[in-house]
Amino acid sequence: MKRIIFLLLAGLATTGYAEVGFKRLVNAAEEPQNWLTYSGSYRSERYSPLSQINRDNVADLKVIWAYQMQPPTIGGAGLVETTPLVVDGTMYITEPPSTVTALDARSGKSLWSWSPEMDEETLHIGFPQVNRGVAVLDDAVYVGTLDAHLVALDAATGAIRWDIAVADNKSGFSLTLAPLALEGKIIIGVSGAEAGVRGFIDAYDSATGERLWRMYTIPAPGEPGSETWQGDSWQTGGGSTWLTGSYDPELDLLYWTIGNPAPDWNGDVRPGDNLYSCSIVALDPATGEMKWYFQFTPHDTHDWDANQIPILFDAEFNGKDRKIVALANRNAFFYLLDRETGEFLHGNQYSKQTWAAGLDEAGRPIVLPGTDPTYDGNLVWPSLQGATNWFSPSYNPETGQFFVATRLMGAVYYKADVEYEEGQPFLGGGEQALSGDDAAGAIRALDVMTGRQQWEFMLHSPPWAGVMATAGGLVIGGSNEGNVFALDAETGNPLWDFQTGGAVRTNPMSFAVDGKQRIVSTGGGTMFVFGLE
Amino acid sequence: MLHRLLFCLTILSLPAIAWAQSPLDELTEADLAAGEKIFKVHCGRCHGTAGQGGEGSNLVRSKLKYATDDQALIDLLGEGIPGTGMPAIWTLDEQKRTQVAGYVRTLGQLEAQEMPGNPSRGKDIYQRSAGCPACHIIAGHGIGIGPELTYIGDQRGLAYLRQSLTDPAATQSQTSGYQDYLTVRVKSLQTEVEGLRVNEDAFTVQVRDVSGTIHSFRKDELTQYEKVFAHSLMPEYGTALSDEDMDDLISYMMSLRSEQ
Repeated sequence: MKRIIFLLLAGLATTGYAEVGFKRLVNAAEEPQNWLTYSGSYRSERYSPLSQINRDNVADLKVIWAYQMQPPTIGGAGLVETTPLVVDGTMYITEPPSTVTALDARSGKSLWSWSPEMDEETLHIGFPQVNRGVAVLDDAVYVGTLDAHLVALDAATGAIRWDIAVADNKSGFSLTLAPLALEGKIIIGVSGAEAGVRGFIDAYDSATGERLWRMYTIPAPGEPGSETWQGDSWQTGGGSTWLTGSYDPELDLLYWTIGNPAPDWNGDVRPGDNLYSCSIVALDPATGEMKWYFQFTPHDTHDWDANQIPILFDAEFNGKDRKIVALANRNAFFYLLDRETGEFLHGNQYSKQTWAAGLDEAGRPIVLPGTDPTYDGNLVWPSLQGATNWFSPSYNPETGQFFVATRLMGAVYYKADVEYEEGQPFLGGGEQALSGDDAAGAIRALDVMTGRQQWEFMLHSPPWAGVMATAGGLVIGGSNEGNVFALDAETGNPLWDFQTGGAVRTNPMSFAVDGKQRIVSTGGGTMFVFGLE
Repeated sequence: MLHRLLFCLTILSLPAIAWAQSPLDELTEADLAAGEKIFKVHCGRCHGTAGQGGEGSNLVRSKLKYATDDQALIDLLGEGIPGTGMPAIWTLDEQKRTQVAGYVRTLGQLEAQEMPGNPSRGKDIYQRSAGCPACHIIAGHGIGIGPELTYIGDQRGLAYLRQSLTDPAATQSQTSGYQDYLTVRVKSLQTEVEGLRVNEDAFTVQVRDVSGTIHSFRKDELTQYEKVFAHSLMPEYGTALSDEDMDDLISYMMSLRSEQ
């Protein structure tokens, strides 16, 4: 009898929801009509192989449907930073602060919506109440919440499968990132360095919610890397892990990025390189064991988290076939690393900076004297929001182009004295960013092998929206002033733009339903789905 | 009698209740000193190191337009004022913001600046000889090309007002930073416009010319787009007015306040 019910349920499920097994995630490129992970693939290319919308017809793009976000369950308006996932005609989005909604991707009509019950006093120190999206695996949807829970929902109905507390929000922990689904497990990272947490990366059993491993990003005394901290500073050392990583199924290695050391702007209380802050790490997903690390900004004093998207690609480098990870860092340098070993291959400046003379042969920055924050203030480029930030870059594997939305903005950095208090800001200073026409933004195209700029498209102000390249020869982006636009990937010339009426703070994505390609972006609290017909 | 007594008591106790609710109540001298220090670092660049105003508003006044009560002032520091140059100073925790708010309120208790001339004569100069209503609105009268001046006495101090008349360009942001009244010069194949930038994005720009007419352009139609920093469309009045007339005009503007 049980078996019959099971079969019936399974039969029902397939009519409304096709399971997304691990193999589908590995082979995501084979189903370009879907968008199955935060960055579109485990390689995090944020590239759509769809070409129905292309440089010849993109001028005719129009709104097919729009979805207005629901009022947040707690707090103020929140900011929309979600990347929708699309699975066989169903779209999964998050709405601020931590609501998950399933939409009919054809019409935009809501299918179900789930919101956690959260305390009005839920902390989010150092960032707005945001959520960047969900993960799907098998027949479940996974979301991290502002109050630091990881929740599994039934993909067809939104019913809770399990709900576990990852960490204590009262200490400043939150989950704002889209989780990453691997085989039988869900990987997450945490926010909270501005509250002086000790960051970590966790893996959970996708079926039960049981924690499989935890990798602390700040080593305890005696562990490798602990020599880069002094005294008890490691206990409040930050190193949060608030952006989704990438995965190489062949090497079976997980790549995750790590944020700033705490306190942010006063490095006096934490002498040393402060490993593994401002680094990328390669982990064995079975155990969480670290295979290698690379630190972009040793002893950071400007809040230049390395929480940017690591993009994986393979190419010949100096006559040798390499598996490479590329990353455009918040510190204004572009990096290529060997992703098997962590070896530094190449680095160059891709955006305005005034803090380093360059990188040495090992990729370590040659820091200019007098660029640390001071009590009276010190003007340095880029600003603490960085030359780029969490919003995604994009890589077109057909042309070898790397696209990045960059912030051309300096800031006067201040240092202040600070003492740690649980659940309170632990910053040690601040900044006064240059404003108005003193700052600007740009979409830049880089040759991925050299980091050399091919073109740029200027924006009125430093952006908070990512980019997506498509096989149609396009780069889609957005602006604070409400523009969603398509650029010619070859030249950077604008081919289409649309005024949404609200700041764009999301990464674009693309999918197809009924054989028709759609491009998705947002403006303010509204999501727009564009198409030709 | 009892009723009247109760009434009196209620009236008398009202200010006490309102006072007791202010989050600035508990601040000590040390807090205010700390607030002053933070103010000089984070606020002084725009508001002047003593709050006298500059690129940002004059804060030496008892009422602040966007901070109707003390809690609103504390919140405003953390959230900024959308659509103005006032940023959110989120790196300050509630305690530090409270200290800054406390210091800002002490500025409001400072003695008002003395007027250098006769405000009622100044009103006449404003309306007639100087011709200010051609570009400014006071209490609904005039044409809105430059800033509205209805409460300019709240917003700007003596030195700033004098400079804005004798050297208007100097009161524009001297860097290319945040500004409301940026002069732009725009040319397309059809037209040529000099005016104030009303709005802009990556693809369009909207300009108000000196007649008040709004022009909207797509940038790909333009043959020239020049931002003229540290420049003002306002004429210089330094030689056009006598010293006495200038003092009277400034005094009139200082008298334009929300509290009478």
